[in-house]
Amino acid sequence: MKQTETTRRGFLGTTAALGAVGLIPSWTTAVFAQTGGTLRLRIGRDNNVLDPGFMTGNSEIEAQKQCLPFLAQYTRDGETFTWEPTYFVTKLEQRDATHIDFELAEGLQWSNGYGPVTASDVKYSYERMKETDWSGYFDALDHVEATSERTGTIVLNKPFAPFIMITLCHGPGAVLSEKAMADAGGKFTTKFPAVCGPYTYEATPGQRAVFSANPDWNGPKPAFERVECNVITEIKAAELAFEAGELGCTRVGADTLARYTKDMPDGAGIAVAGELQYMWMGMNTQHPKLQDIRVRQAIQHAVDVDTILQGAYSGTTAKSYGIICPGLIGQRDSAGYSYDPEKARALLAEAGVSGLELTLRTLNNQERMLTAQIIQANLAAVGITLNVLPLDSGPFWEMGQESKGETWKELELWLMRFGTTPDPYEASQWFTSNQVGVWNWERWTDEEFDRLYEEGINETDPQARHDIYVRMQEIMDNTGAYVWINHEPEAFVHSSGVTVNAAPSGELNYRRFAKG
Amino acid sequence: MLYYLTKRLGLSALVIGLVVLVLFSLLYFIPGDPATIALGPRATEEAIARYAEKMHLDEPVWRQFLIYIGNALTGDLGLDVFSDRPVTAIILERIGFTLSLVGVGMGWAVLLGIPLGCLAAVRPNSWLDRVTGILSVGTIAVPSFLVSIWALLIFAVHLRWLPAIGAGEPGQVGDQLIHLILPAFAIGLSWVGYLARMVRASMLEVMGENYIRSARAFGLRPRRVIFGYALRVAILPTITLIGMGFGGMISSTVFAEIIFARPGLGKLIFDAVMARNFPIVQGAVLVATGLYVLVVLFSDTLIAWFDPRVRESL
Repeated sequence: MKQTETTRRGFLGTTAALGAVGLIPSWTTAVFAQTGGTLRLRIGRDNNVLDPGFMTGNSEIEAQKQCLPFLAQYTRDGETFTWEPTYFVTKLEQRDATHIDFELAEGLQWSNGYGPVTASDVKYSYERMKETDWSGYFDALDHVEATSERTGTIVLNKPFAPFIMITLCHGPGAVLSEKAMADAGGKFTTKFPAVCGPYTYEATPGQRAVFSANPDWNGPKPAFERVECNVITEIKAAELAFEAGELGCTRVGADTLARYTKDMPDGAGIAVAGELQYMWMGMNTQHPKLQDIRVRQAIQHAVDVDTILQGAYSGTTAKSYGIICPGLIGQRDSAGYSYDPEKARALLAEAGVSGLELTLRTLNNQERMLTAQIIQANLAAVGITLNVLPLDSGPFWEMGQESKGETWKELELWLMRFGTTPDPYEASQWFTSNQVGVWNWERWTDEEFDRLYEEGINETDPQARHDIYVRMQEIMDNTGAYVWINHEPEAFVHSSGVTVNAAPSGELNYRRFAKG
Repeated sequence: MLYYLTKRLGLSALVIGLVVLVLFSLLYFIPGDPATIALGPRATEEAIARYAEKMHLDEPVWRQFLIYIGNALTGDLGLDVFSDRPVTAIILERIGFTLSLVGVGMGWAVLLGIPLGCLAAVRPNSWLDRVTGILSVGTIAVPSFLVSIWALLIFAVHLRWLPAIGAGEPGQVGDQLIHLILPAFAIGLSWVGYLARMVRASMLEVMGENYIRSARAFGLRPRRVIFGYALRVAILPTITLIGMGFGGMISSTVFAEIIFARPGLGKLIFDAVMARNFPIVQGAVLVATGLYVLVVLFSDTLIAWFDPRVRESL
């Protein structure tokens, strides 16, 4: 029988190989474990300024929602977005058009020994916001009265129906500790001076933000003890990371949403937070080529929006009928025109226009360029030559603004998308007469529209508000200056072990996530 | 040698000076108002005014340039537009990740590419030479971002052997090394081919030299002839290539860092460009250029030290 000889070199080699093989399971465990209380998510960039007054938004609002008190939060009433009081208050009531009473819950404590959360903190936080970059959300705020340690009244300087929805529920509605802020010098960037919520916050720039269980928190425990948010700039890289099992939930783009809708990965689901983006093709009503309303109406009838939704957005976006997004008061289910190339040709003939050549300006991203190309083909079919001019964001966002140069005079057609909050007021504010040359690039004015805009702010009855905003969109249709295109969704893919909670504008709220 | 070094240093300073000028001009060549571009279309007047003040945009351009140069010379690359953190500190946080990625990426390419090139040259036209040739050309032809995506799809998404994103847990070296495997593989792969082809060509030339024939005639062992005599001369152009490659690899890391969501200089520059965060773009590109110039200077100096003909030529 041949005896196996063990040499020193052979022994070392075999040991090294076995050691390497033995390491593989531990790698995978270390990397892919999502068990216990840890949830891994994505943020698109570092949180540079967590201060509600000077933040950029998005993931910074997400961080505030986990670590700071808010008085109100979004919820759904059937298909419509509305608000409800948070855990932090036992009462939040609109007493009349200009007074909102609140009572803070008992036992709320700031971290780092800054004591209880008080009505004075609310007063400090909201009155401070009037002097910040987000002051626009507090234009209607007159002052806050702290009537006791835990009770107070938010006093508005004029009736402003959307205040709770767009201000208290949203990022600017975060409450800060007055004492902690004084110690921090009145402003902060990447570290909360004090937190009151289920999580504490710590970030490693360029890598991740980690939300760990707050030892001082005595409120409802979140489903996940720890949330790790990896900084992943590219949405596609995050989608692959989800498929690799390294993320529990991530936002997805239109093409991936279409792919997942057809063929969902095992153990995954899709959640749509809201569709608060509205996109349209605008027309400059004062441009010599477009001054005749029949020409503008011809263009409205010439564009096949259904083809755009399929061709550029893979059928993943909702068709738009105006500036009011799905789930909001005032949303319509039809527009004042329809795709009808014959009618478009007839209107052009009636206007005596032939050989018309126009320029469409758009941001140079994939979906917009595809949209522009489809519009180009649609307009060619009715005898209009369309040149597409793709632009970088710098010149694009300035082209209609009178304060930024003379380009607004040459502006003919453009593709535009605005985002909004879950109240119709914000979407309508950009089209009033005083916005001509600012954000009303279509450059029309209408007294009834301006009056309805003020009425919409003051009106608190939901049905009456609905009627107001429907009428405002009819007025916009009648200008012939708009081709409504779509509302892009804020969609998330998540593992089946995670129930996602997100604001309608897409900010995730980890403290309201659930397991299963 | 001192004269040579002085001249090379002067040239390097000139290159960096030109880069500073281009980077500074960048802000003014991009259409649109720099403050609006950086802060977004809905920025308040107060925020725009603060930005203009911070960036000295209200000063004459020549004065802005002098301020920028003066600050850069003292290591002050300005402040991040959004967080107000010093750009220098932000770059220092990230540069280690890029250097480790480039080091490991080039390291495995050198360890594999040079021996492969030697083997191919020692046995020209053999099956080994042909296979090496095909593989080399194949890997050179595939861009690193494509390798990154394939590697990610195969090893992370499909097989789940290796992590898809991140740089590993801070402070855990083992975990950080595991997170280096895929990106280093992706950026180094094409360099295996480059180095193998370069070493093969140089070796074939050197192997035909008289002194190599003499060494063989004296009966020296083939390993000694190849590695002790031939490779020492043949490696010179490869050192230049590695120096240049180091710079090229810093560019390649942009894709790898984005695809694998790794922190680093490349991802920092990409994110800053996307956010129109000009101080970060200027600072990070300047540091990347400085690194590139330093490595090329080092490789040139190394060659000059090895080969007196080079230092006499400048």
